[in-house]
Amino acid sequence: MSDNDQKSVSRRRFLSVLGTTSAGAAVLSGCSTEKVEKLIPYLVQSEDQVPGIATIYASTCAECNAGCGLHVRTREGRAVKLEGNPEHPVNAGRLCARGQAGLQSLYNPGRIKGPMQRTGDTWRQIKWDDAIALLAQQVGAAGSGLAVLSGAPRGSFSNFLADWTGAAGGRLVRWEPFDQSTLRLASKRVFGRDEVPAHDFAKARYIVSFGADFLDTWGPTVEYQRQFAESHGFSREGGMAKHVYFAPRASLTGLNADEWHAVAPGSETALALAMASALGASTGVTPAQAAEATGLKAEEIVRLAKEFAAAKPSLAVAGGIPSQHAGAVELCAAVHLLNQAAGNIGQTVLFGGDLDHGDGQAAFAALQQAMDAGQVKVLVVHEANPVYATPKAGKFVEAFAKVPFKVSTSLVVDETTVQCDLVLPGLHALERWDDANPRAGVWGLMQPVMEPVYPNRHPGDVLLAASQKAGGPFAKFTAANWEAHLKAQWTSRAAGDAWRAALARGGVYAPAATASVGAPVSMTVDSKAPTFEGSGEFTLLPYASSLLYDGRGTNKPWLLETPDPVTKITWHAWVELHPDAAARLDVREGEILRVTSAHGSVEAPAYIYPGLRPDVVAIPMGFGHAEYGEYAKDRGVNYLDLLGPTTGDVVAYVGTKVTVERTREYRKVAKTEGTTRQLGRGIAEAMPVAFAAKGLTIEEAAKAAGHPAHEINTEREVQALKGWREGQVGREEGRGRRLGNYPGEHPMWGMTIDLARCTGCSACSTACYAENNIPWVGEDQILRGRELSWIRIERYWEGGTDGEPIEARFVPMPCQHCDNAPCEPVCPVYAAYHTPDGLNGQVYNRCVGTRYCANNCPYKVRYFNWHAYARKAFVAPFDLQLNPDVVVRARGVMEKCTFCVQRIRGAQHAARVADGVIKDGELTTACAQACPSGAITFGDLNDPESRVRQRAQDPRGYHILEDINVRPAITYLAKVVHREPAHAAPGGEESH
Amino acid sequence: MAKVTSGVLASFEHIDAACDTIKALRARGHRKLTVYYSHPNHEIEEACGHQSSPVRLFTLIGGLTGTTAAFSMQIWMNRDWPLLVGGKSIVAIPAFVVIGFELTVLIGSLATLLGVFLLSVGMRNKGVIYDERYTDDRIGVFVPAGAADAAGIEKLLRDAGAVEVKHAAA
Amino acid sequence: MAVAVQNAPGQPAQTHADVTRDVVATLAPATKGYYLLLAGAVGLFLIGASTLLLIVKEGLGLAGYNPPVFWSVFITTFVFWVGIGHAGTLISAILFLFRSPWRTAVYRATEAMTVFAVMTAALFPIIHIGRQWLFYWLLPYPNQRYLWPNFKSPLLWDVFAIGTYFTVSTSFLIFGLIPDVAAVRDKATGWRKTVYSMLSMNWQGTDNQWRHYSRAYLYLAALAAPLVLSVHSVVSWDFASALIPGWHGTIFAPYFVAGAIYSGVGMVFTLLIPLRKYLKLEHMITDYHFDNMAKLTLFTGTILFYAYGMEYFVAWYSGNTFEQTTFFRRAFGPGWWAGWSMIIPNAVLSQLLWFRKVRTNLTSLFVLSIFINIGMWFERYVIINSLTSDYIPYAWDQMTPTWADWGILAGSFGWFGMWFLLFAKNFPVVAIQEIKEFIPMPRQRAGGHH
Repeated sequence: MSDNDQKSVSRRRFLSVLGTTSAGAAVLSGCSTEKVEKLIPYLVQSEDQVPGIATIYASTCAECNAGCGLHVRTREGRAVKLEGNPEHPVNAGRLCARGQAGLQSLYNPGRIKGPMQRTGDTWRQIKWDDAIALLAQQVGAAGSGLAVLSGAPRGSFSNFLADWTGAAGGRLVRWEPFDQSTLRLASKRVFGRDEVPAHDFAKARYIVSFGADFLDTWGPTVEYQRQFAESHGFSREGGMAKHVYFAPRASLTGLNADEWHAVAPGSETALALAMASALGASTGVTPAQAAEATGLKAEEIVRLAKEFAAAKPSLAVAGGIPSQHAGAVELCAAVHLLNQAAGNIGQTVLFGGDLDHGDGQAAFAALQQAMDAGQVKVLVVHEANPVYATPKAGKFVEAFAKVPFKVSTSLVVDETTVQCDLVLPGLHALERWDDANPRAGVWGLMQPVMEPVYPNRHPGDVLLAASQKAGGPFAKFTAANWEAHLKAQWTSRAAGDAWRAALARGGVYAPAATASVGAPVSMTVDSKAPTFEGSGEFTLLPYASSLLYDGRGTNKPWLLETPDPVTKITWHAWVELHPDAAARLDVREGEILRVTSAHGSVEAPAYIYPGLRPDVVAIPMGFGHAEYGEYAKDRGVNYLDLLGPTTGDVVAYVGTKVTVERTREYRKVAKTEGTTRQLGRGIAEAMPVAFAAKGLTIEEAAKAAGHPAHEINTEREVQALKGWREGQVGREEGRGRRLGNYPGEHPMWGMTIDLARCTGCSACSTACYAENNIPWVGEDQILRGRELSWIRIERYWEGGTDGEPIEARFVPMPCQHCDNAPCEPVCPVYAAYHTPDGLNGQVYNRCVGTRYCANNCPYKVRYFNWHAYARKAFVAPFDLQLNPDVVVRARGVMEKCTFCVQRIRGAQHAARVADGVIKDGELTTACAQACPSGAITFGDLNDPESRVRQRAQDPRGYHILEDINVRPAITYLAKVVHREPAHAAPGGEESH
Repeated sequence: MAKVTSGVLASFEHIDAACDTIKALRARGHRKLTVYYSHPNHEIEEACGHQSSPVRLFTLIGGLTGTTAAFSMQIWMNRDWPLLVGGKSIVAIPAFVVIGFELTVLIGSLATLLGVFLLSVGMRNKGVIYDERYTDDRIGVFVPAGAADAAGIEKLLRDAGAVEVKHAAA
Repeated sequence: MAVAVQNAPGQPAQTHADVTRDVVATLAPATKGYYLLLAGAVGLFLIGASTLLLIVKEGLGLAGYNPPVFWSVFITTFVFWVGIGHAGTLISAILFLFRSPWRTAVYRATEAMTVFAVMTAALFPIIHIGRQWLFYWLLPYPNQRYLWPNFKSPLLWDVFAIGTYFTVSTSFLIFGLIPDVAAVRDKATGWRKTVYSMLSMNWQGTDNQWRHYSRAYLYLAALAAPLVLSVHSVVSWDFASALIPGWHGTIFAPYFVAGAIYSGVGMVFTLLIPLRKYLKLEHMITDYHFDNMAKLTLFTGTILFYAYGMEYFVAWYSGNTFEQTTFFRRAFGPGWWAGWSMIIPNAVLSQLLWFRKVRTNLTSLFVLSIFINIGMWFERYVIINSLTSDYIPYAWDQMTPTWADWGILAGSFGWFGMWFLLFAKNFPVVAIQEIKEFIPMPRQRAGGHH
């Protein structure tokens, strides 16, 4: 939004005032003890804002460079919820946890309030005009010593930066810690195409990943997860693709694989080549050699290769963080050859898509060299934090210090910003005009959806203004402001009505052009594993968390509070050890371990994880910030402190040997899980694909597999349950719900969760926090198990003992909205009761907090406000994000999943105004809306046509703890596995 | 003390003496005796020959009131604000039994106490003279009588073994 | 015959005068030791009170709650105190109906204990809720929003059961006191006399008063007897009517009542053994009484032994994996130590009372009673901790109490001790009138009456 557009400014500023005050109102209505704020009525009714009615703006997510499309729900002039833009080709309406948490970077208390200048070690606020004058003067003098280091997505602004730096003969380096340059370089070498190809997981029938975490951090994960769910999620027509994962550690992607092979770090290349040669390609690596390198059996490699070739089309991917070692480019090249041999190029590996990527490590290294040599006079750092995100041993800081004038446009004070001389805080993606070009043909737009939280400026505006002052080579940048410049860029793409249409749709989306590639131009791949430096007995393995990403997520409490999908640890870093290694070192969970490499040493509590090779230790990335706001600062340790300087053109995240010492100090690990086994309680069911294809129920499948279906219910209970399952989905002749069954026009809200699609990514949980004003409680409270996440992702281990492969089962666990809800009758004040449309209602204002309901809930999905959590969690300006439709719960009351009752009632009111009926799919819960896999379906079980009704009738359907006859409204569809499902140990003893 | 009932008050140390006296006096037609003693004592009660106390009626009526009140309250309140909980019926009699019982006991006991206070403890028998040793180890017998009979009664009492005799004149 | 000889204080009472004198003697001005004890109790109470203030200000989070353990030390202590109360009513009401002679000397003290224990327990439903200032929402009072409480909730049953129990046991105590207060009044002098006269409610022990009084006392006893059985049953249904494995047991009502009486008699030992020494009542409260109470303890303790065993048997025999897991963990899980602190003192140590030596040796009884108190507190703690491992293993967790839990616990003992000490020094802790019933009055003619 622009500064000269006075009208819109005054309007938006006015709205934001209203926004703050109604946030106050929202807090008030929650009987919180916050101070009372006045509600200001409209003096002049603004044309596009109706109080109480949400306004949706289309925009683009800038939390990573995947460029997902957004629908921003704004209320009274402030963004309150982010949802995927259904029209957008990348995410098709879905959004990941990081995307949901975009709001917390918008409203982050750590945001810089205005331009600041550093003299010595003291910062002082300065005026924008002075700041721009200073910048202009420095830039004008810099000449070719001008450089920009930008992490911004590809788009008009990066183009502008290129021109702008180019004008003075300076340089622009677009740098991303997690760019896919390994893949790009390999493509260049093998096929002569300098680009990151797109992948089609939806089409693939057999997916092999060599440490490419396409469900965690590798590529556009929301898109890949959606596609993966399409092919790997079971359907009786389409069957189910198979997914094989090769890496020393089972990441979230690994836990979603049908086969995980813990190959030795660095041996992936040989493996890929061996598989290729098994398919007839002349790679010169025999399965036997690969077997020796990887630790697999030769015949196993051949089998996998055969399966891979047999399934058409298949897909092999590589180049993720866990396999990013010195030989990573070789690995990607080898995988290209493997795909080539299997005929997947052009089928599932699509060139021409040209996914967004940075300039790569080589360009970054060159810039650092120039800085070191004192050639860089002025460096502008934009949306990048190299001081944190590069290995300390790389000595970036030293080089950085040699730059006389350093400018940062960061929104928050991060490690790089504190070392700059001038800070020109930019605007958040939701506050500014901008666009993103994540892939060929796709241009996503960003527009200001609200008055900036702090009156800062888009770097584009600043640079344009500075250019005018500086004159000289910059004189040619004459655009009045960034908005004008951007619109000028778009005239070619969409002008006039087309522009307005694009704005409404969130951008222009041309189908990705596919370029056909010929035979490989080079077949030479060095198959030998890279040598790792250092002498420790363990290889250090990075663990790029899907929540914290490269560390940019760490200042957002939602992402810290959301348990890591694999380990379920929150708020702090840890060191992962294999049980055998732990036994050998006599380490128990929670003991602080000192991990030492040639370059440094870090200390973090141990977490014993079976999904890991015994000869590696894994440490999560993204922690250990020295700055970056109160939530990130001094939290955990930084993985990169242990790495050596980067040589070659990729950062070798894997490639350091470390020693592990015990400190004999302990701390409780802040994880949200109790027991990791389901003790044969049939909570997370699974069945072999063969049985699922026959349409067997889990009981039939268990019998067919020769296991007795666990029978814990008495004859009486069986009688009580008889006919209910059918009754629940067919309410004919009054079967099903006797009491709590309101016949007549009422809908009966229900949900299905397809465990064959759920990957455990936790996007639903974060979306729920955003939608329902759930306060985060922080590490100390989580240590007492007091988190409030209304939908939690339970993760159970199966197998893993005596040679059995370890299997993870993810179960999203929201309130089950039972017909015979045990929580309701025990409430002495009717705070918990059953609504006519089958919801398990909870009246916060009536609750006195006896907590009996929570005790009596068999699913343990009721959460209590032990303290006034809202006070801490919604500290200004986080409070601006509060959803006015949901009360903020006071201290001392019970809260729980409501099936997003505010959305249900909203839709019902809207329907009443319109044709009076809610069509299936018009209304959904926040969790179902966010789920990138489309695992969650919400709707009316009374409507015979509804999807939820259809899915609830699926033979795989079951209810958790059905035997206790509480009659949940949520039907789970059993997970489908390619092998015989491992069966849980019998109840009684537990095992962690 | 407002107006004093005239009569003769005798103190006894021996229980048999006291009982005989009471019987004798009642035989002579003295019906309005007041007997003081420090502890529940069957001999004396026999001697006085009261029929058993009507306080039980209070208990019975109180108890029944409690039961009815409890059930009608619960049934009415549940129908007045009918909310479904846990798939149970709105009027779930088994769940009401507990409070039904408790209120029976509560109101029953309170009524009993009320009864006692109405019947006796609340009101001291005004104007009848009393001696503090009656809560200790002596038994007192007060015979209401005019000045005329006083002398005769005192003689009877002394003969019966009264260790002390007082006169109260209006 | 001759007037009974007045014997020296401390000697077994022979005449009614002795009884009055000895009991009145217990109300003599207190010694320094008494005031030290009282100060200690008040101190503990203040600790609890300030902890409660902090909890009201900061939230229940100060206590060690750790979901899924949503109830913990507070409810444990609540049930503990309710249980203590039961012995008193049992001895004063039920044994009165059974006309058992040994109750007379001890029932007054135990009854007082009951009232104060229930007074303590009654605080906890308020302390433990999330919004203490709204506790009155549990009462069915008319309000402009036409909201009524949920009578299907066992917690509401509690409100009525505890309320009734408190009212009835208190009036029973006061009612029983009336003639004794009158006796004290007639010995007292000065301002104390005025106070006691007011409290004695014009009691003069006339034939008419006695006539109604004895009847009423009988009916009150008859009402209190089933009440005492009902109250702890209702409390047990807070748990039994929930579906948590380890709570959901039909055996709970009798099991809890037995436990309550067991713990109550234990507390009676703890209180009376020192008290009788301090108030020089050895000749009134004798080994005979303790022996009988010990037998009662043995009886209820043995019921507990059976109940514990039966719980485990049912868990195994039901074949219900949830029950089995819960009970396995109760004995061998992370909370094993609590599990055994419940079984050993209650089920095992109580069996020592088979030996007369133990029953009549006050030292051993006193030591045992301390174990009983601890054991019974842990029984409730263990039962409530079934929450740590119910249906969903992912949600399992342990809880560790914090200073706030202990602060409230200490406060409850202080509050109880304070009231009991004040009572013991200002009211007859032995029922004068009933003792007299057992001491025949002198007769002129030889031979008993016929």
